[in-house]
Amino acid sequence: MLVKRKGSHFMKRILFLLSLSGLLLLLSGCWDRQEVNDLAIVTAAAIDKKGDNQVELSVQVFVPKSLGGGGGQGGGSEGGGTGKTTLVISQKGVNVAEALSMVQSELPRKVFWGQCKVFIFGEKAAKEGIQDHVDFLLRHPQPRERADVFVSEGKAKRLLELQTLLERDVSEAIREQAKLGVGMKVTLQDLGEMLASEAQAAALPYLKIVTEKSEEVSYQFVKNFATAVFKNDQMIGQISQRKTRGLLWLKNEVKDYTVTVKPKDTKGGISLNPISVHLDLIPQIQGEKWKMVVKVQTEGSVIQNGTNLDLNNPKSLKMIEKVYEEDIKKYIESTIGQVQHKLKADIVDFAKEFHRKYPEQWKQAEHRWEEVFPEVKVNIYVDANIQRQGNINESERRREEKR
Amino acid sequence: MIRNMSKLLRKTKKKKQNQQESKPQDALHQSFNENVEIFRSIYENCSDVVFRPFSIFGKTRAMIIYIDGLSDVEGLDENVLSPLMQETANESQPFNELLENKLPVSNVKKVNLLADCIESISTGNPILLYEGGSDGFSLSLAKWEKRSIEEPAAESGIRGPREGFTESLQVSTAQLRRIIKSPALKIQSMKIGSYTRTTVALAYIEGVADQTLIDEATNRLQRIEIDGILESEYIEALIEDNPYSPFPQIKSTERPDVACANLLEGRIVILVEGTPFTLIAPISFFSLLQSQEDYYQSFMISTFIRWLRYGFFVISLLFPALYVAVTTFHQEMLPQALLLSIAAARETVPFPALVEALMMEITFEALREAGVRLPKQVGSAISIVGALVIGQAAVQAGLVSAPMVIVVAITGIASFMIPSYIMAISVRMLRFPIIFFAGTLGLLGITMGIIAIAIHLCSLRSFGEPYLAPLAPLKGRELKDALWKSPLWKMGTRPHFTGESNVYRQAQGQAPSSKKGGESGN
Repeated sequence: MLVKRKGSHFMKRILFLLSLSGLLLLLSGCWDRQEVNDLAIVTAAAIDKKGDNQVELSVQVFVPKSLGGGGGQGGGSEGGGTGKTTLVISQKGVNVAEALSMVQSELPRKVFWGQCKVFIFGEKAAKEGIQDHVDFLLRHPQPRERADVFVSEGKAKRLLELQTLLERDVSEAIREQAKLGVGMKVTLQDLGEMLASEAQAAALPYLKIVTEKSEEVSYQFVKNFATAVFKNDQMIGQISQRKTRGLLWLKNEVKDYTVTVKPKDTKGGISLNPISVHLDLIPQIQGEKWKMVVKVQTEGSVIQNGTNLDLNNPKSLKMIEKVYEEDIKKYIESTIGQVQHKLKADIVDFAKEFHRKYPEQWKQAEHRWEEVFPEVKVNIYVDANIQRQGNINESERRREEKR
Repeated sequence: MIRNMSKLLRKTKKKKQNQQESKPQDALHQSFNENVEIFRSIYENCSDVVFRPFSIFGKTRAMIIYIDGLSDVEGLDENVLSPLMQETANESQPFNELLENKLPVSNVKKVNLLADCIESISTGNPILLYEGGSDGFSLSLAKWEKRSIEEPAAESGIRGPREGFTESLQVSTAQLRRIIKSPALKIQSMKIGSYTRTTVALAYIEGVADQTLIDEATNRLQRIEIDGILESEYIEALIEDNPYSPFPQIKSTERPDVACANLLEGRIVILVEGTPFTLIAPISFFSLLQSQEDYYQSFMISTFIRWLRYGFFVISLLFPALYVAVTTFHQEMLPQALLLSIAAARETVPFPALVEALMMEITFEALREAGVRLPKQVGSAISIVGALVIGQAAVQAGLVSAPMVIVVAITGIASFMIPSYIMAISVRMLRFPIIFFAGTLGLLGITMGIIAIAIHLCSLRSFGEPYLAPLAPLKGRELKDALWKSPLWKMGTRPHFTGESNVYRQAQGQAPSSKKGGESGN
């Protein structure tokens, strides 16, 4: 009996403690709680320069009603997403933080950065320096470090206001395009690292609005066009789409594009897709001479053959490989030429390679890297293999020749 | 038990102010008249008790006492009354030996004690009293209406035996015996319940089940003093280790094959008269997530289905809570497109996600419960109400978001994937505090809830065996039947905690292969 009584007393105590801890939960008052329908979900943000020392922040906010998922009392009359899916709001401020607070004052819902995956800097803002803005984006807990960062030609806000046909909104279109690897893809974290790196240079994809005109409609879309080059945190120039490809080779980010080469003594061209790329940057210091050996190993597959060459013939295959190698080399050379001698910004991050291999020499040269970098001699070796020449079809020109 | 009985009897006696102060443990009287009087006073106002006076061989006065409807009246007429009334006596034999020989009844027991007589009458075996003897005969002529053996409704399966236990204990024990024919299968029975006198049988295999386990079970059963046992849950509630746990510590089954499988693993089975549900102990958490069919299928399929079940067990416990936590605290965790869809769907919903989730979950539980209680004729109404009103109309009216309906539906399906019904219900119940935690503290709250449950599970025991075995304490050898299911020929040993006294259950190296088949000629 004694045991029983003790047990019930114990249980009482447990229940008491349990109810106490239950009350503790209520005390917190769900302070951190944010219902989805109280959020203004930012899908993209643009930072522009406005007037003197003013920053204009534009946010693209998702409009949930536009998807018409809730059914609604109207019996789905407004369903089907007929309305605009996004809303662009811009406000000025001394800096991004202030502009943001102004944006917030215009919105009935709390601005939520957690899903913002696209940040675009206007060209003017980029030329003034982006360090300030990046500081805000990295310091604020909500923006994602994995969001993509871009620079736009002209005002960035214009991009946010574009209508898209294929994707839900322009932010998604830009993001998906960057993912394809046609141009550069730089995340907020990458940018932060670039800005903090020894090279003191950064490269961001450069967006441009392109108008496609047909007889009836003209349609504007965003093109991941080229690359904006930053020195310290200021944009100093850009490199073209063609040279961006060379940059992709150097950054080992080549993914999905087609190289068309035209071998000598033949008509037509042959198109190749790189399958795998291996890149080695080997820094060398001989005396006062700084040298960088760039070794590219790549495998390609033939996707179109418009020449009269027989690809089953090892000789012609070798020849194409040779041409392919030279083509890649040309790309890289022209890119390096511009980066090294015209822009003088080490966006390829040679600095890191030298620092790693020659820490002593690097220490001495660190402060004058700007002067050293254009002087670095670059040797490029490309080793290309063609793995899949494709045996199904013979080229038309070859057939003609046979006849 | 006996004491209770006597107390009860004494009380009635006192009330009646009867001159005969006879106690049940008393022996029968010498006098036939007195005996009859005693029985008449005991069964006063019992209209279903029949007293049939007659004379044996036309000389000796005798009396048959039985309960109408519990005994085989035809058998009584044919095999007791007619031979005794019509034949003549052979004087040379002693009278009671003669009686025994003349009764063509399979089991005739001599009873001396009043208590035994009462027991015998209440179980349907008529008592034969006769003049000149201080003993009576208990005739095994019990017969009452029984349900026939049917397929168990709560534990159906595709493959495997289709018979289930019934309410009759004799039939149930016979079903066990039909599967395990060895005399090592022991079935000890005892009567529990001062009024119901319910027969409870403890079955085990001698030499496989641990003796201490048998002793412990017997002890716990004998400790029970209660007025009545109506279902095996009464027993379960009185013998389980931790009564304050939402998790069942004793498994119930209505399948003889499941009971026998557990007997073979060294567990005990408690059968209770009047219910098809038998109890199995000790059990582990994992055994509640296993179904009999796991053993009737290829091990690969069983493992796959087991993991499916584990996954849906977690979903059943956490899914609504995760939905609430992610949509109200951690919106950045969802893929963008998904969040936007949810945001669009939630646009018209007037409630916070927490309230929405609680509302829908409670409605679902109500629907489920109503479905169980509803008569079959109106059963289809519940599905219409559930599907149309709650599902479609609520979403169309903008009261509930479509994703929440999906979440509740998936959770509902998940909870029905747990083979043990009691386990499924306790998981359903635990879901609510976790949803509440999620609504107040987000993922942190869910983690707290999971930790609390894990701590509780670790401390739980079933008949002294750790509840989370073989995972905690880790018994690597036994994961073969918990985390995955090994092929039968690899299950060479019995479970550690229950089958320790007889470890090996089959010969080693029975993995079949075509080569071995060819070599068997050697």
